[in-house]
Amino acid sequence: MERKNFLRSLIIGAASAPMLMDACKKSSATSEVGTTTTVTGGSSTSSCAVAPTETEGPFPTHSPASYVRSNIVDGKSGYAFTVKIVVGNSNNGCNPLANAIVDIWHCDAEGNYSEYGGSGMQSTNYTSLHFLRGRQTTDSNGAVTFTSIFPGWYSGRATHIHVHIYNSSGNSLKVTQIAFPEGTGTAVSLVNGYGKGMSGYTYNKNDNVFSDDNSGIEIATVTGTTTAGFVLNMGISVPA
Amino acid sequence: MKKKIITLCYRKIIDNSSTKAWDRLVFEDSYKEFKLQAQFYNQVKKYNTFAELVHHVKGAEKLHYLVSGAIVNYLKQLNEIVPDIANNIGRQFLIFKQFKFELINSDLRHIDKHKVAISFYSEPLIWHDTIAPYLLTSPLTVDIDETLTDLFAIQPYLTIHTLS
Repeated sequence: MERKNFLRSLIIGAASAPMLMDACKKSSATSEVGTTTTVTGGSSTSSCAVAPTETEGPFPTHSPASYVRSNIVDGKSGYAFTVKIVVGNSNNGCNPLANAIVDIWHCDAEGNYSEYGGSGMQSTNYTSLHFLRGRQTTDSNGAVTFTSIFPGWYSGRATHIHVHIYNSSGNSLKVTQIAFPEGTGTAVSLVNGYGKGMSGYTYNKNDNVFSDDNSGIEIATVTGTTTAGFVLNMGISVPA
Repeated sequence: MKKKIITLCYRKIIDNSSTKAWDRLVFEDSYKEFKLQAQFYNQVKKYNTFAELVHHVKGAEKLHYLVSGAIVNYLKQLNEIVPDIANNIGRQFLIFKQFKFELINSDLRHIDKHKVAISFYSEPLIWHDTIAPYLLTSPLTVDIDETLTDLFAIQPYLTIHTLS
């Protein structure tokens, strides 16, 4: 190629570059249109893979969150434990608050929470993913009941249950924790940390959540034995 | 040659533009659950978006896990079949037991800002061959003289997750 011709070809190349870019835009726009008309299944991503071509179904049905259940054991082992919470309305003489949503969660016998295995970047099997977590709606007496196992304890905290109470519209009314009675003969001492004992246990008076509860208003009534199981009763008043 | 064993990951994005019935249920219920559970990390009612919560509030990244409770029952309805991904004759063929749920974005004020992802991790497959743009695989459990296989293309949001 002569130098002159070579230079000319460069000039033509430069001049035609915007046209080529336009052509690319057009073709990509065209292929997007093609994708939306030909891909019947799949997500909204463009691809030229074959879309599912099968009889429709199974048809999805509306399902509540996996938390909505009374029995939250999910195969975890421990002493039988019934949690009864009565919610009152502190704006209405502490009369029972019906239709309140009550979430509870607590640790297992070893002191682990279900989210420890599920919050990382790894994949998870969806069975038993949310053990020892539950959601119930209060009845006309303001009451909810959960079937669970007696929680263990872990370093730095007294035995406790987390509670989050919402009104029927899902607006948060109270985030709190339930403390347990301590001393000889109490459930906490009978369970004895499921055999690991009470050495290093954080008692309520040293607990960073319960230590300011001088009147014991956050401490539940807990009765029962390791053979018969334990029952916790707790009243919680919330401004509704 | 030693056969390669692979698992695939399909990351399904669900947002306000999703139209399928299953996608809509996941979209709406995960948003409802986000609005409930976000309040635990937003007791001062200072923040509106998931991004703000994760940035400012310790532990708010647990919302990925906490909100996943709203969609677990929808996962069960899939009967372990990865949605959307078909082999080259149009049949859904990938089996999953493992998943990961993520909140990508969300806003307590606007559901249309809500966007989530579900990653489906397939059960192991034997990777027999690659034919043009297609992978030829069969389930790891199949162990007979004549093997039933699937031929499929790697497509957007689908990847080989593990190889052994």
